[in-house]
Amino acid sequence: MISSDGAEEKNDEGNTLVWLTGIALLVQMISIFVYVPTERTEGVIQRIMYFHVPCAWLSFFAFFVVFICSILFLWKKEREWDIYAHASAGIGVVFCSLVLITGPIWARPIWGAWWVWDARLTSTLILWLIYVAYLMLRAQSDAGSMRARYAAVLGIVGFLNIPFIHFSVLWWRTFHPQPKVITNEGIGKGMDPSMLATLGLSLCAFTLLYFLLMGERVRQEKIKDEIDKLKRQKFYSS
Amino acid sequence: MDNLGFLFAANVFVWCGIIYYVYTLKQRNRALEKDLDLLKETLSKEGS
Repeated sequence: MISSDGAEEKNDEGNTLVWLTGIALLVQMISIFVYVPTERTEGVIQRIMYFHVPCAWLSFFAFFVVFICSILFLWKKEREWDIYAHASAGIGVVFCSLVLITGPIWARPIWGAWWVWDARLTSTLILWLIYVAYLMLRAQSDAGSMRARYAAVLGIVGFLNIPFIHFSVLWWRTFHPQPKVITNEGIGKGMDPSMLATLGLSLCAFTLLYFLLMGERVRQEKIKDEIDKLKRQKFYSS
Repeated sequence: MDNLGFLFAANVFVWCGIIYYVYTLKQRNRALEKDLDLLKETLSKEGS
């Protein structure tokens, strides 16, 4: 049970995170549209990168959390880890959807096509489908049931696709550009410093957003658990 | 500057997506909290 002081402290932390995230997103927007120079070959459309890449980062990070928490759930059998995995998968799917929306909008004027079935795009679509299946499975599962375990296994297997997505542009010839931040020459050598700074800022802002959303999603799952517990209590007492 | 429309569209999709997700999350949490309070109240009434 949380004391009123503890609850207040938690609320203060939550408010600080809301403010930090809001400020970071605002500074990121100013940086994208005012500070960063326009790229020479692609022009103004290249600015989509500052949304597209952070959305991809956030979804991969969210799926990494699903992977770790699913392993911990299968190992320790504690509901807490299951809650974190479920919450993170939902956030990952939302941001993976945004990747799959912003990617084609960027591709249309540059490649002349909304979508091509190259390795990077196809494997990202598969990742999205795996975690949509995960959420569908979760929607039918109760805490502690076998389905929660199946979902955990799917959460682990789904994550194995992410290294494949990352290396796909190096292993095959793809339409999708090669990594610009981490290259053979070093970190950030292939980018203008102001572009790198803006991208870094966007990544930080989206990471803060992830923790903010995660807090809300976890709270939601815990309230649901408490309602279920009270309903069971009511059922047995009547 | 021809591609400004595409940049605008991508921006709108990202922000509308995030705002809609945060809004639905907050609404759902509020509704669940209300349910929880109601349930607690019913149980305490039944108990007394």
